[in-house]
Amino acid sequence: MAAVGAVFAYIGFTQLGFWEKEPKPGFFPSIIGIVLVITGILAFFQTLKEEGQPDYNKNELSVILGGLSVIVLTFIIGLIPTAFLFVLFWLKVIEKDVPWRDVIVIEIIVAIIVVGVFAGWLQVQFPWGLFELLM
Amino acid sequence: MSNFVLLIQGFGTALTPMNIGACVLGAVLGLVVGAMPGIGSLAGVALLLPLTYKFNPTTAIIMLGALYYSNMYGGSFSAILLNIPGDSPAVVTTLDGYPMATKRKRPGQALLTANMASFVGGTIGIFILTFMGPGLANLGLKFGPSEMTALLLIAMTSISWLVGENPIKGVVITCFGILLACMGMDTLSGAPRYEFGNMYLLGGIPFTPFVIGSVGFAQVINLINDREADNEKRARGESDGMKLSIRGSMLTGHDFKRLLPPALRSGFLGTFVGVLPGAGATSGSFMGYAIQKKFKSEEPLGTGAIEGIAASEAANNAAAAGAFAPLLALGIPGSGTGAVLLGGLMMWGLSPGPLLFDSEPEFCWGLIASLFMANIFTLIVAICVIPFLIKILSVPIKYMIPIITVVCVVGAYSTSNSMFGVIIMFLSGIVGYLLNKNNFPSAPMLLSFVLAPLLESNMRKAFILSGGSISIFFTRPITCVLMIIFFAIILVSAIKPMLSKKKNG
Repeated sequence: MAAVGAVFAYIGFTQLGFWEKEPKPGFFPSIIGIVLVITGILAFFQTLKEEGQPDYNKNELSVILGGLSVIVLTFIIGLIPTAFLFVLFWLKVIEKDVPWRDVIVIEIIVAIIVVGVFAGWLQVQFPWGLFELLM
Repeated sequence: MSNFVLLIQGFGTALTPMNIGACVLGAVLGLVVGAMPGIGSLAGVALLLPLTYKFNPTTAIIMLGALYYSNMYGGSFSAILLNIPGDSPAVVTTLDGYPMATKRKRPGQALLTANMASFVGGTIGIFILTFMGPGLANLGLKFGPSEMTALLLIAMTSISWLVGENPIKGVVITCFGILLACMGMDTLSGAPRYEFGNMYLLGGIPFTPFVIGSVGFAQVINLINDREADNEKRARGESDGMKLSIRGSMLTGHDFKRLLPPALRSGFLGTFVGVLPGAGATSGSFMGYAIQKKFKSEEPLGTGAIEGIAASEAANNAAAAGAFAPLLALGIPGSGTGAVLLGGLMMWGLSPGPLLFDSEPEFCWGLIASLFMANIFTLIVAICVIPFLIKILSVPIKYMIPIITVVCVVGAYSTSNSMFGVIIMFLSGIVGYLLNKNNFPSAPMLLSFVLAPLLESNMRKAFILSGGSISIFFTRPITCVLMIIFFAIILVSAIKPMLSKKKNG
């Protein structure tokens, strides 16, 4: 956090301008950047004194990878097919013991939300990835 | 003629079958749109504006008013049940709504608290609008850049010092949120800054995908840890059996006693905040929650306290009503949604301004009467859907993870119509997850992200007006009082821990 503050303050002072008769674009972020550097360092020392470090779980990584794969796949096959594939993959590969009946019900719910509400009613134009080249 | 008589006449206009139908339709659509993460009141009103073309102006604006209004109700649904705020004003509702629904196992009561508080706050807002609308709008105009700066400083300081147990972490995360909001175009000069050569960042970080990610997607990452325990519970036949009835969701007399004081306080505060140009319902709900921190709550705020939900929900509905005062009386929209409504009014040949109440009394008072109707209809509809909504919480976590992930992705995409929104949602989800792991509260980050552009532009305008002198913050009466409150908050927050340390040891 302190590093983020330092970068913003540095760019604010050196590139954006701080004050020339009136406040410049770098004025506000530079001040906040400096405050962030100071409080960030204080928070760092405070954290050293705290007992118990956060524990990270590899299952949490699977959700992050799932989200990442949705983004990548959307660029290839589009968002709507990706949404259905992701749900199918999660329930049948990650969770394994989910019966087909439940998978179908959940896919229908996803269809109602994505296709029915967002695409149909609210007319959101979702991307179709490489399929757009064929359309 | 007194305002009360005019209001009765307004009910005469609003209570035609056509207008009642439009009001109910607006209320239902607003609830659905509000509950959909990423749509929000601005997009909702804009998307549904074409639906009103076939109506006469009064019926059309009644429908849009009801839609805008019920959006505030709908936003709390997904905030409470999924920890994904449907709209930015519902961000604060997640702080207590989601813990009350899941940890305290009172989802029906959490939803009903949100609905009742919205009703109370909204009613106060509409009453104030009825009797003081034009006067209130003029008061809002007295808030220049220096007054707005001082008010925003109070809002930011209150929430960063008060949310979470560690004030230093609160300040760190507030500053982080402000810096993220500084990315993109400079608010005054339009010069690009902190875009790091990325074309998409020129427009800044979009708020809704940022919220969906840092609150919703971060929650999905955390949910995976509860999955195993949930699976084992279900295998033993101990699944959380939620009561799926209206009766099972009812609030007790004691709950009402807890709900009313914060709802009343936030109702008045929210109306005032709604009147201020640019402040809007989001600032209202944050301020309502911050003020509630100063009062006694039966359970600590942030752990599923009724007082927390009531304070934020009442404030955002009251602010939604308050925003109509400058819109109708001065023709100044208080928010983006207000601007769309203003566009609608002009499209139908109406010119909002000081003369609108005299030149189009039927329209103005019909609209205000319809807000009362919308408040009642939305409450009834909202209560009726509670038993169905609670069912969401009895869905196994392993099913919820992919569904919520898809909702987050689709919601983030729909706000920006670009994958940039989805990428921002994803990255802010990881940031939110890391912050949660390291005990950083995310609410101050979101508040500062919303308010930073307003704070910066007002602060810089104030300095420009004063020729660079800081005295502008201490010579204007309203600003001076607000600055004294601001310094008092900092002083009390700094002294309090020292005093309690001395007391204990």
